[in-house]
Amino acid sequence: MILRVLPALLLLLLGGCGGSETPSDSQALKVYRHSMDGTPGSLDPAHASSIYANFLVVNLYDTLYRYRYLARPYELAPNLAQGLPEISEDGLVYTIRIKQGVKFIDDPAFPDGKGRELTAHDFIYTIKRHFDPVTLSQGAWLWRDRIVGLDEWKGNGSDYTQEVAGLQAIDEQTIRIGLKKPFPQLLHTFTGGFSAIVAREAVQHYGREMANHPVGSGPYTLRSVDSAQAVLDSNPGFRQEIFRLEEEGYNPDSQKHLGLEVLEGRSPPFVDRLHIDFIAEDAARWNAFTSKDIHFLKVPVSQFDRVLSSRNPVKVIPSLLESYRFSSSLESGFVYTSFNLDDERIGYHPDPLQNERNQALRCAIIKAFDWQSRNEVFYYGIGRVFPGLIPPTTPEFDSSADRFSVERDLDQARALLRLHDWNRENLPVLEYGFPASVTERQMFEQFRSFMLDIGYPREKIRPLSFATFGDFFRAYSRREVMLITSSWTMDYPDTENTMQLFFGPNMSPGSNSSNYNNEQFDQLYRDSAAMQPSEQCTEIYRKMNQMVIEDCVAISGVSRNLLFLWDKSAIMLPDRSFVGGYFLRFVDLKDPVPGDG
Amino acid sequence: MKASHYIGRKLLSGIPLLLGVTFISFLLMVYFGPDKTFELLGKNPSSEQISKVREQLGYDRPFLSRYAEYFRQLVTLDLGLSESSGERISRILARTVPVSIALVLPGFMLGNMLGILLGLSAAWYRGRWLDKFIMGASVLGMSISFLVIIIALQVLLCTPYGVNLFPARGWEVNDASSYVYYVTVPTLAIIFVTLGYNTRFYRAVMVEELGRDHIQTALAYGASSTELLFRHVLKNSLVPVLTRLMFSIPLVIVSGSLLIESYFGIPGIGKSTFEAITSGDQPVLKAVVGLTAVLFVFEQLLIDILYRLVDPRVAEA
Amino acid sequence: MSGFNRHPGTLAARDGTRSAHVWGRLRKNHMGMAGLVIVLIFLFIAVAAWAGLIGQDWSRVTGGRWESPATGHLFGTNMLGQDVMERAIFSTRTAFEVGLLVSVLSTLLGAMLGALAGWFSQSLLDEAVLWLKGVLDSIPFYLFVAAVAFAMHGSPWAMHIAMIATFWTSTGRLVRGEVMRLKNREFIDAARSIGLPAHTIVIRHLLPNTLPILLVQSSLVFVAAIKTEVILSFLGLGVQDGVSWGLMLAESTQEVLAGHFANFIAASGMLFLLLMGFNMLADAFQDAFDDRAGL
Repeated sequence: MILRVLPALLLLLLGGCGGSETPSDSQALKVYRHSMDGTPGSLDPAHASSIYANFLVVNLYDTLYRYRYLARPYELAPNLAQGLPEISEDGLVYTIRIKQGVKFIDDPAFPDGKGRELTAHDFIYTIKRHFDPVTLSQGAWLWRDRIVGLDEWKGNGSDYTQEVAGLQAIDEQTIRIGLKKPFPQLLHTFTGGFSAIVAREAVQHYGREMANHPVGSGPYTLRSVDSAQAVLDSNPGFRQEIFRLEEEGYNPDSQKHLGLEVLEGRSPPFVDRLHIDFIAEDAARWNAFTSKDIHFLKVPVSQFDRVLSSRNPVKVIPSLLESYRFSSSLESGFVYTSFNLDDERIGYHPDPLQNERNQALRCAIIKAFDWQSRNEVFYYGIGRVFPGLIPPTTPEFDSSADRFSVERDLDQARALLRLHDWNRENLPVLEYGFPASVTERQMFEQFRSFMLDIGYPREKIRPLSFATFGDFFRAYSRREVMLITSSWTMDYPDTENTMQLFFGPNMSPGSNSSNYNNEQFDQLYRDSAAMQPSEQCTEIYRKMNQMVIEDCVAISGVSRNLLFLWDKSAIMLPDRSFVGGYFLRFVDLKDPVPGDG
Repeated sequence: MKASHYIGRKLLSGIPLLLGVTFISFLLMVYFGPDKTFELLGKNPSSEQISKVREQLGYDRPFLSRYAEYFRQLVTLDLGLSESSGERISRILARTVPVSIALVLPGFMLGNMLGILLGLSAAWYRGRWLDKFIMGASVLGMSISFLVIIIALQVLLCTPYGVNLFPARGWEVNDASSYVYYVTVPTLAIIFVTLGYNTRFYRAVMVEELGRDHIQTALAYGASSTELLFRHVLKNSLVPVLTRLMFSIPLVIVSGSLLIESYFGIPGIGKSTFEAITSGDQPVLKAVVGLTAVLFVFEQLLIDILYRLVDPRVAEA
Repeated sequence: MSGFNRHPGTLAARDGTRSAHVWGRLRKNHMGMAGLVIVLIFLFIAVAAWAGLIGQDWSRVTGGRWESPATGHLFGTNMLGQDVMERAIFSTRTAFEVGLLVSVLSTLLGAMLGALAGWFSQSLLDEAVLWLKGVLDSIPFYLFVAAVAFAMHGSPWAMHIAMIATFWTSTGRLVRGEVMRLKNREFIDAARSIGLPAHTIVIRHLLPNTLPILLVQSSLVFVAAIKTEVILSFLGLGVQDGVSWGLMLAESTQEVLAGHFANFIAASGMLFLLLMGFNMLADAFQDAFDDRAGL
């Protein structure tokens, strides 16, 4: 009954002052209040490139697959798909059946305003849409050069009446995908927001305003969104699916305390409404949480010392556990600083001798970099520093790997410089780029202080700050920045996704922003790309990792430790990165009146 | 010169100003402005994709055609969509401007009222200790940075380090009490930062008025000071006071709310502008800059014309 | 709202032979002398930092994270472990660099354009200067700076240029008025009658008479420039390389709510003192030149 009233209320609110509500309204509803440290920007699945956008998109739309809610490490689970696909012997043909009777939400975009059934054709349309230049897709790279006929379809003018050989709807419920070469990560690409299924009518009706008019079939629908908050209502038409702890990978040993048992046998979503506050300022987020305005907090680093009683192992202050639950996990990604090898002052040089000197200089900088301080100051000492580009959250991570490249040794750094005839006079000016923000500037200042310790003259280490991230992005995509600090959040849990960061053909403007160009590395990448995870594959990845370390391509890296706190009344296991957002479907609240407003 | 003639001439004189304002804001904000191409591209873009995005964003079009388009947008108020969120800019404005007005209005009014009060007291007791005290205090007020005031007030009023009575962030206003709850700290900040300047300005105006011959004569003949104050001094100083108020409105709403809203996380036009600056959202920036500047020009014209209507001598000055 | 008074009170300049008289009045003004002393102390600090005598360790990490004040670090350390005192001192140099550059250049620009407009009043040139002033005054200031920063692709001078480009307008307006008033006075008529060229009259006879305006204006602009630097640094559009009170305050915005006040107290304290010194000095100048304010 209440849910019927919602559209009317929505209209009232849109016309009125948005976001506000009468107390009686919220008392009757179960409202889970989430917080994020960034704004999603566009909610168009084709633009869901940030974790914030992805977070909302996977709740507003449907994807073929998702990850099991509670299983760690992550395991794929069917979402809109009926099950895992049939895959041909050669790994080139995937047949996926989707569930019947799934409907898009009611929206003026549809004739007569009624949401129609979602079919295999909608999935085909969604993927094709990424290859339509009008879409300005940010996710097309996931499927470029993968699916038979798709790139050619784009080349022929993206005409939707033309068929794509590798992207067929056999019937209303069956999708057949043909690959050019094996792509073991394919199903992972169907879990992310980019692959969220859109209705053609909505695209035609809203055009670019899809960005804030989501028309999907996910567990929630959008009530309002602005730069400070998004409000989502549960989708009354969402398909009934019974929640089974066992199917979601429940582990009683480690997850018993979460109280998830009450969800067993019920059908999500369990709450009536989600409030998602976008609070970029650390302190404000903390205050909002402690005053019970929000149920969930990704603890800002500046507050770690208030939350933790021990760093190793990470332990939370016991008194906090009386009202909150706590979890900590490493991010699926890392922060690193790459050298632009295209810059002759520090990278590749036609003169072999100079080339060698430049490499020595890079190695000296790496040896002078103090990862321990970096971790201490910016990540409270609980980030995980690792050598190269295989982060600790991946199965390929080698905990016994040589940590030489992440251990500071000033004598060695100085010796390297001396040996290659570098001195205060002939050292090149280092230009360290960053988008203007306090933290980025502090990272630069710390880097500079590290370099001062090996006798690098201060005036030769210059900041190159950019007013916006976009301008910084443009500059390094044009190879104009010498040292580029960035963080990489993995798109799916497979090391291939970080290896491509140094793959030759991905050079700027691609994601290989160091412009590393090593034929051997590229060959190994091609060899491994078609392999399913295996010992042999791991072997190759580690070999590639070693190459990047030996060539001194990047100062890398650290995986940040994420701490989550949430109110005891919220029954959930929150997560971030590529799986982030899926848990919202399963959130439940003990107390229907959170924090007494 | 006839009034209608004067108005016509004034309106004509506004045209070069409008052209100048739009041209400069276009040149800086759009032509040399932030570039969102690479942010809108996915990972590993091809050069063909890059040029496609540039084309879609209109970056590749010739200078004059882009300027004409910008001009057309301002005139028709069809401002397009935000590049970061895809929201219609007219909707963003409709959503945020009322919040900003509600946010800065109390501080703006109180700041000016207190300023008039203090300025008048100082002028009345000119040269005496009260005048010296007020002027001294206004120097202190003028010497504190807006940012410092905001930080200090937040620490003192919104955290456990101080009294912790008000919210450190946000804007969830749905009735009078929540409005007071959220607006108090920003209001105090605005009063603090403007009071010194306001007091000085109003004191100068009042000193000028009080020094006029007819006032001095009236005083000498023992006229009641309150009557004098209200019938003559305040009435005569209305023109400079109103001018100052009118002129500061557009700048207060954008510049003033820029800092407060981004610091207190209040979803007004200032925060949207701040976000547009940091994310390089050209359509939003050019809309805000263009509209404020155009409004300002119109306001100037309006003030001139009103003066002329009220007091025909002004036109010749 | 920028805290910058675009139209500071007008003042009237008289003949150029009163400097001794003015100085006498200035010396009797206690507030003004106190302001002068404060400004000179800061100038001294800035020069010493320039000469490499103090504040040289502003970029080095010499301590731990957020150390409390102690003998080694009088004001404690910041998040990185840099000495807050060293940074606050070195920032004085930055403040004077920004303040002097902007106040001198914008005052000169204002004087030149104002004098031209005043001398050739009602001409096309006058109209052009008034038009430019009108245009610049109509664009919200912080947005103008942001735009200049974008246009100059993050050049470290973007902030200075934006301030110079906008701060000249009030000086220009005042100088224009003064020149228009003076140009019909007898001594100018006399100069004209003996056939002195216009530029000689303007430079040798008119501009010196606007000196009081220029002095007051440049100290006001100095204050405005430093204040603006703080806001711009908070917005990420300010000082690019080095350290400034604005950058320290920007850092402090991320620390104060976690209870770390060293950056905030050091930067806001020094900022406040210097601004007060300049404001008091500007007041004293104004009083000293203003015949009506004789006490």
